[in-house]
Amino acid sequence: MKYGKLGALGAGALLVFSACSGTTATAAPGTSTAPGGSSAVAAGAWCVGGTVKIGTELPMSGGETANGAPTANGVKLAIKQQNAKGGVAGCKLDINVQDDALNGVHDPQTGAKNMQTLVADAAVMGVVGPFNSGVAKAEIPISNGAGLLMCSPANTNNGVTQPPEGDTYRKTNPTKISYIRTASPDSIQGPSAADYLYKDLGKTSVYIIDDTETFGVGVGDTFQAEFKKLGGNVVKRDSAPKSTTDYTPLFTAAAALNPQGVYLAGTTPTGMGLALKQGRTVSGLETVPFVGPDGVADLGPGGTQGATITIAGAASHDVYGTVGSAHDLADNTFTAAYTTEFGGAPGAYSAAAYACAQIIIASLDKASATATDLASAREGVRANAVNSANSFTTVLGSLNFDKYGDNVHPFISFYKVDMTLAGGKGDWTFVKQESFSDPNAQ
Amino acid sequence: MTTATSKRLPSPWGRLRARAHDHRSLTILAGWAIVASVLPVIVMIPPLSTFQPESLWIDGFANAGVFILLAMGLNVVVGLAGLLDLGYAAFFAIGSYAYAFGASPFTNLQIPFWPMLLVGAVVAATLGILLGAPTLRLRGDYLAIVTLGFGEIVPAVFLNASAFTLGTNGIGGIYKPEVFGFQFTLENPVPYYVAMVAILAITMVFLYRLQGSRLGRAWMAIREDELAAASSGINTITTKLLAFALGASTAGLAGVFATSKLTFVGPGQFGFQVSFTVLAMVVLGGMGNIWGVATGAFVIYTIQAVLLKELNQFFAVLHVPILQSIDFVQYQYLLYGVALVAMMLLRPEGLFPSSRRRQELHATSEDVADVPPPTEALGA
Amino acid sequence: MTVDFRRVIRPVAIGTIALLTEYALLGTQQFANALTLGAIYALIALGYTMVYGIVELINFAHGDIFMVGSFLAMWIMTTLLGLSGPVTNLLNLVGLLSIVMFATMVGMGFIGMFIERFAYRPLRHAPRLAPLITAIGVSFILQNIISSLFGPSPVNVPQIVPLDKFAFMGGKIGYLNVFMVVLAVVLMIALQLFVGRTRLGRAMRSTAQDREAAELMGVDINQTIAITFFIAAALAGAGGVIQGLYFGSIKFDLGFFVGLKAFTAAVLGGIGNTTGAAIGGFIIAFVEVYATVLGYTQWSEVAVFTVLILVLVFRPSGLLGQQLGERA
Repeated sequence: MKYGKLGALGAGALLVFSACSGTTATAAPGTSTAPGGSSAVAAGAWCVGGTVKIGTELPMSGGETANGAPTANGVKLAIKQQNAKGGVAGCKLDINVQDDALNGVHDPQTGAKNMQTLVADAAVMGVVGPFNSGVAKAEIPISNGAGLLMCSPANTNNGVTQPPEGDTYRKTNPTKISYIRTASPDSIQGPSAADYLYKDLGKTSVYIIDDTETFGVGVGDTFQAEFKKLGGNVVKRDSAPKSTTDYTPLFTAAAALNPQGVYLAGTTPTGMGLALKQGRTVSGLETVPFVGPDGVADLGPGGTQGATITIAGAASHDVYGTVGSAHDLADNTFTAAYTTEFGGAPGAYSAAAYACAQIIIASLDKASATATDLASAREGVRANAVNSANSFTTVLGSLNFDKYGDNVHPFISFYKVDMTLAGGKGDWTFVKQESFSDPNAQ
Repeated sequence: MTTATSKRLPSPWGRLRARAHDHRSLTILAGWAIVASVLPVIVMIPPLSTFQPESLWIDGFANAGVFILLAMGLNVVVGLAGLLDLGYAAFFAIGSYAYAFGASPFTNLQIPFWPMLLVGAVVAATLGILLGAPTLRLRGDYLAIVTLGFGEIVPAVFLNASAFTLGTNGIGGIYKPEVFGFQFTLENPVPYYVAMVAILAITMVFLYRLQGSRLGRAWMAIREDELAAASSGINTITTKLLAFALGASTAGLAGVFATSKLTFVGPGQFGFQVSFTVLAMVVLGGMGNIWGVATGAFVIYTIQAVLLKELNQFFAVLHVPILQSIDFVQYQYLLYGVALVAMMLLRPEGLFPSSRRRQELHATSEDVADVPPPTEALGA
Repeated sequence: MTVDFRRVIRPVAIGTIALLTEYALLGTQQFANALTLGAIYALIALGYTMVYGIVELINFAHGDIFMVGSFLAMWIMTTLLGLSGPVTNLLNLVGLLSIVMFATMVGMGFIGMFIERFAYRPLRHAPRLAPLITAIGVSFILQNIISSLFGPSPVNVPQIVPLDKFAFMGGKIGYLNVFMVVLAVVLMIALQLFVGRTRLGRAMRSTAQDREAAELMGVDINQTIAITFFIAAALAGAGGVIQGLYFGSIKFDLGFFVGLKAFTAAVLGGIGNTTGAAIGGFIIAFVEVYATVLGYTQWSEVAVFTVLILVLVFRPSGLLGQQLGERA
């Protein structure tokens, strides 16, 4: 049967092609593993093969490229700089990049498959990612069972770590957790914006619009609860999926209720930049403050492709944002180093990803003293990172994590758009910074 | 039918095929048993074994199995009954959420996996009938757009009814299957693989039996010419509804299995892209041919989930300088689109078309050859 | 040149009832929003319905042609003409708009013809599903080309038409809104005249009705189909220009959902019927805006499809579609 042979041949060829998935040379094009000079320290026995890896599990293609690619770049920069110093305890660093976008959208099943791939790669010491909380919920059970450290720069959904929901993901090893995150959870970012709008800006009524995504709905809900608790009035709450091209009818209906402020509960890649631009054109909303979380406050100046200010253009005045990290970056050279390496400004989560990589590197350095092979090195990384007694010096400041994996000292920084900066196109300026205490800290 | 058949004894292969044809169900079960035991062995042989550890291979096969199941189900609706369904992912969603409701900390229920398979299939089938009912009077492409609409409506309902479904956050921590006390785990994919092979084999046996039954022939009659089918006494209403129901029930099975393996379900997983992917698997595999569709599903799954993601690695291994500087991950959908267009232009009937389809498309040349030359017919 | 009143009355009646109901339910401001959105949907729906009428293909790539049109218009305005903001001189504005509109429509027309020639024509005799799969493949290709060239983030479009508004019956309507609706109506009337009165239009109608008979009567089928795709793509391109000018922001994945709603509009109106497509566009826009007014934004897509299903249950061929029997 001709077709049968053809089919068998085709299937065989495909098996071979798909086999070429786990090659050891996993550096994506464009990554530079720096030609670091001779290592000052000889690599220990644990460094089997001379190279260990940090994995990234982020959406890298389609509509979410703007989220994942700059974040992965943060990790690449950290690896390059560390290799220039001779690697970790003499062992070279490499990267294993995984893409959890399927057909352009983050997909939990692809994420789970990627996590299995990273677990199976014995050289991977830790993973930076994922980006989306939904994907995290599918991945944490896997990494928890395997004991591979995950550090997310961007997950904010409370249920990912906090009981009771968080416990369902850690069932295999409830006390030996392997997930930490640097981003401030929704339970902190939303209310801080509500406090700012009510107390600092003195507005008592607000219109909330979210993008139906996990992050947007999360911050929207917590903002709403806090604003009402303060005594404010939420005149209207709308959900507009990211496929919306016309927000004008929504804002028109809301403007009729005379809100004194607007909260854009979402991110610019899911439409909040466009919402800002169109919302300003509706009469009644021309000068009210628009406030957004760190998916809107991407700190990109006007003119940078994809930045909120670029998309909203002249509508970006009277815009405020909260960012879930400290402003006083411990290492001010990060932005310049990023721009030199990759051209263009860092993404909203590049610094956080860089911090995650720093944590993994520091934990590995500590573990290498007692590790005997790759498996024990991996376990050492996990144990060191989640140990709340360990404090890590990173670009986001000093970080340590509680027993659920949350940041013990979450910070919120407040920013405002100043249209006179960046040659008249507008840029974000720092207003103030607040730190919170983690109720779960030990 | 050719007029001159040379008289010769059937070869051993021919005898085997004849016997297999007679005992179809056994053949299918045997076939799956062989495939299931051979595949893990093949990937243990170098060079395949050096590229990915065996557990990852088997995990991948279990995931591909979900799509094979989906493709076989859609084949019933589109391939056998000729009803263009562009919203098949809705039934997949129903099965997935049914299992999530039945076995997760969210509802505090812990119904075992195997009964849930049946429950998921039945719930999905019910929805298949409900959604199929308004479409009965519609002609081909109107049916398509309505099913497309349902494909958008069902996930939107799961997204927005957040009080019942946790909306965009999804339901997590879903319980994994258990067989006589043996608990499935995420670290060991072999139990999932074996379970999927069992489900696939039984489903395929069932579908082949359906295809050869009166119902199957009624479907094919409707597909070819609905008016003629109705005139010859077929109840088009129940036949169409049964097509939807059975197609949906297969998707329900797939949903239950997939959710039990991923332990998480969210409304964003069931968009038009999923419906389209399954449709592409059916068309490219060869509509109407169950084995063909299964193979097509495996091929497309491998391309989409594995090959396209690993393009960078693949070209890095080849060491061609120009290709190494291109970031293929960015272009994967371009390549996917080009591959789809190319496959359709080169072989629109699919990789393994059913024999009937092959006859349709290549009839002209054979017909000419079969007509006896006029001199004979005129009776010399 | 007599006008057949009976044939005209039904669409006019449906259209007027629809418009009046919309106005009553929405109020002036939202009515203006709905009309503008409807103009865009109508232009795209026309293309869908024309292509379907003539080759019975749901061209899933059509929404992406609209998207490419918007990027082409943006590129012409920024790179070729160097525009960056509103143009206040009326003569200049008219001239520039004409250039942009003409260039985009012609450019997209050729792209549409190109796609038909190489992706759909070889499959004209293939099983029905093959061109459908190809259409989606083309859709992926178009999206990816645009996102590779212009990036995955939203791109700004210079809004050369000033966004000034004037007060009208309790709401504020922009000059741009009026321009958009007028343009859409003008294009639709031009299309009707072309299809109804010219030789090429007659060729298109006869090919749509019975391809073999048309061929026997001397119609060049390939040319006719090519021209149909040209016009359909040109109209979608015009929609793209309007989209850019009005919203000021375009994105590479814009085409899919807009295209889906436009296709729903075409089916609602009766697929193959150009007047129906236009009316369908305005109805779908109205349903969307009304859902927003009622506070159910996230259900707007569901509402659109529900309306479609309800209409099809009672009129299986759409609002203005002919009640055909089962085609063999």
